[in-house]
Amino acid sequence: MQSIDIFGQIGLNHYLILSALLFVTGMAGVLLRRNIIVLLMSIELMLNAVNISFIAFGKYMNQLDGQILVFFVMTIAAAEAAVGLAIAVNIFKRYKEVNIRFFEHLKG
Amino acid sequence: MGESAFEIAINCVKLVLVFLLMVQMVPVLVWLERRGSGFIQNRFGPNRVGPLGLMQLLADAVKFLTKEEFVPKAATKLLFYAAPVFALLPGTLAFSAIPMASPLKWGEHTFLIQGYEIGVGIVFILAISSLAAYTILMAGWGSGNKFSLMGALRASAQTISYELALGLSLVGVIMMYGTFNLTEMIHAQEGAMQFQAFGFTISSSLLPNWGIFYQPLAAVLFFAATFAESNRLPFDLAEGEAELVAGFHTEYGGFKMLLFFIGEYGHMMVASGLMATFFFGGYNIPWTTTEQVYQWALGIVGSPDWASALSSAVHFAMFFAKLAAFLWIFIWVRWTLPRFRYDQLMDLGWKTMLPWALANTIITAVVVFAVSQTW
Amino acid sequence: MTADIFLFWLLASVTLLSGVGVVLVSNPIYSALCLAMTMVGVSAIFATLGAYFIAGVQMIVYAGAVMVLFVMVLMLFDLKTEIATFSRGRISGAIKIAIVGLLAGLIAGTFAMTTTIAGKPETKEKAGHAAKSLGELLFTKYVFGFEALGVLLLIIAIGVVGLARSKGGTHAKH
Repeated sequence: MQSIDIFGQIGLNHYLILSALLFVTGMAGVLLRRNIIVLLMSIELMLNAVNISFIAFGKYMNQLDGQILVFFVMTIAAAEAAVGLAIAVNIFKRYKEVNIRFFEHLKG
Repeated sequence: MGESAFEIAINCVKLVLVFLLMVQMVPVLVWLERRGSGFIQNRFGPNRVGPLGLMQLLADAVKFLTKEEFVPKAATKLLFYAAPVFALLPGTLAFSAIPMASPLKWGEHTFLIQGYEIGVGIVFILAISSLAAYTILMAGWGSGNKFSLMGALRASAQTISYELALGLSLVGVIMMYGTFNLTEMIHAQEGAMQFQAFGFTISSSLLPNWGIFYQPLAAVLFFAATFAESNRLPFDLAEGEAELVAGFHTEYGGFKMLLFFIGEYGHMMVASGLMATFFFGGYNIPWTTTEQVYQWALGIVGSPDWASALSSAVHFAMFFAKLAAFLWIFIWVRWTLPRFRYDQLMDLGWKTMLPWALANTIITAVVVFAVSQTW
Repeated sequence: MTADIFLFWLLASVTLLSGVGVVLVSNPIYSALCLAMTMVGVSAIFATLGAYFIAGVQMIVYAGAVMVLFVMVLMLFDLKTEIATFSRGRISGAIKIAIVGLLAGLIAGTFAMTTTIAGKPETKEKAGHAAKSLGELLFTKYVFGFEALGVLLLIIAIGVVGLARSKGGTHAKH
C-alpha cells in the first residue's frame, strides 16, 4: 500500500468514511437510546449520512443522478418524520410515556 | 471567497460592513417606528431629546446597556443566552446576499456591492431564514416560562406555515426569470418594459420593466408572507400582549431584548430588500439601465474608475430609497391593522395563501411555456 | 494546506461531533439541536461538493422544517431530563457498541483499502446551470419516481391529518 497524504489531499474516500462514521453513529443511537423521538432522530442521522455518500459519488463520478436520489431520500425522510412524530404525539397524549420499552407488547 | 489574499481581505471587510450597516439601521428604524406611530395615531412620539427626538436613540441605547442582567430561576441557562445571539444570524446572513448596487470596477478589480455573491441566491436566503424558527424555540423553551413556551410554539408554527406560501410564491418569479441568481434577476428588470411573446418583442415606455407587472399575485403573497415571517403585526401572534404577556421574549430584558429587536428589524430589512430585488428592479433606477447610468457618470467625471464609483453610489442610493419605502410600509401596516386571531392566521396561511401561490405557479408555468413558442 | 482541505476537516469534525452529540446527550432537546447542527454541517458539505442547490434544499427541508417539528414536539412534551436515557443491560449494551464499532471499522477499512474510484473531478459548472440540468433529469429519466413520491406525499399527508385529528386538537368539532 503506497503512502497517501491523508491530511493534505481530500478525495472520495474521505467523504465516504465521514458518511460511514455518521451512519454508525445513527445506528448506535437507534440501538442504545430509549426515547422514541431520539430514535426517529437517529434514523434521520443515518439517512443524512447516506446522502453525503450519494453526493460525493455523484461529484467524483461526474453525474447528477446522485443528487436526484438525495431528493428522493429527503422527501421520504420528511414524510417518515411526519408520520413518526404524529404517532409519537398520539402515544404520548394517551399514555404520557416516550420510552420505547413501554411499547414492547402491542396489547390493547 | 476569492483568489488572492487581497480579495479575501476585501470580502471579509465587506461582510463586516454589511453587518454594521444593518445594526446601525436599527436605531434609526426604532426612531422612525415611534415617530411614525405618533404621526399615525395623531400624537407626538419622542420629541424631547435632541432635534426631532433623534437623540432618544442614544438614551435608549444607554438604558438598554445599563439594565440589570438576570436569568430566571427556571431557565435553561445555555439556551437562554444562546437564543438572542442566534437571533442576529439569519437576518444578517441573508441580507449580505442581496446586491445593493452595481459592481464597482476599479482598475483590474471588480467589487460587488454585496456581502457575497451566491449562484443560488434565492435558495440560500430561504434556507438561512428558515433557521429563524430555532431562535424563537430556544428562547421560549429556555426561559422556563409557560407564556414564553406558548408564544414560541405559536410563533414557530406560524413561521413554518408561512414559509410554504413564501417559497411557493417565489417559484413563479424563478420560472419567469429562469435563474436563482439575484444579480441576474436585477439585470432582467432593467429599463422600460420590454418582453418577448410568441416571437414578437413587445415594449412600452410607460412602465418600467419591473417584476411586479409580470407577477402581481406573487408580489402580494410574498409581501404578506414576509410579515408573518418577521412576526410583525398583523401577524404578531407570538407576542399577543393580552394573552401571552410578550410571547417568547417575556423573560428577556436589557441588551438581550435589544438583540431580539435587531433580529426582528433584520428580518424586515431582508424582506424589504427582497421585495425591491424581485419585484421592483433592485438597485436600478426606474426606466434606465445600469449601462445608461454608467455612461451618464462617465460624462460627468471622465475617468472610468470614478464613473463606476459614481454609478455605484447612485445605485446604492436608489436601492436604499426602495428599501426605506418598504420599511415604511412595514411600520405603516403595524400601526394600522389589528391582530388576527390564531385560527384565522392558520386558515389564511394554509387555505388562502397556499392555494393562490400554487395557482400562481401553475399559471406562470403555462404562460411561460406558451409565450416562448413562436406564433 | 489550502482552503478547501481546511474547510473539509472543519466541516467533517463539526458534523461528526454534533452527530455523536445526538446520541450521547441525555436531554432530548439538546439532542435535537445537535441534530439540527449536523444538518447544517451536512448542507455545508454538500456545498463544498458543488451541489449548491441540494445544499439549500437540505437546509430548508431538514434544518428548517423537519428538525423544527422535532424540537416543537419535544418542547410540547416538556421532558427536561430523561430518567432512563440508554437501554438497560450492560452486556447487551457492550455487545451493541461492539457491533457498531465493528461495522464502523469494517466500512472505514474497506474505503481506506480501496483506491480512489474516479480521478479528481475538474468540472466547474455554474450553480444555476446545474440546477437546470437537475430539473431536466428529474422530469425525464426519474419522472416515475417523482410521480410516485407525489402520491406517497399525498397519502402521508392524509394519514397524518387523520392521526392528528383523532382526538381533540384546535379544530375539533365536538
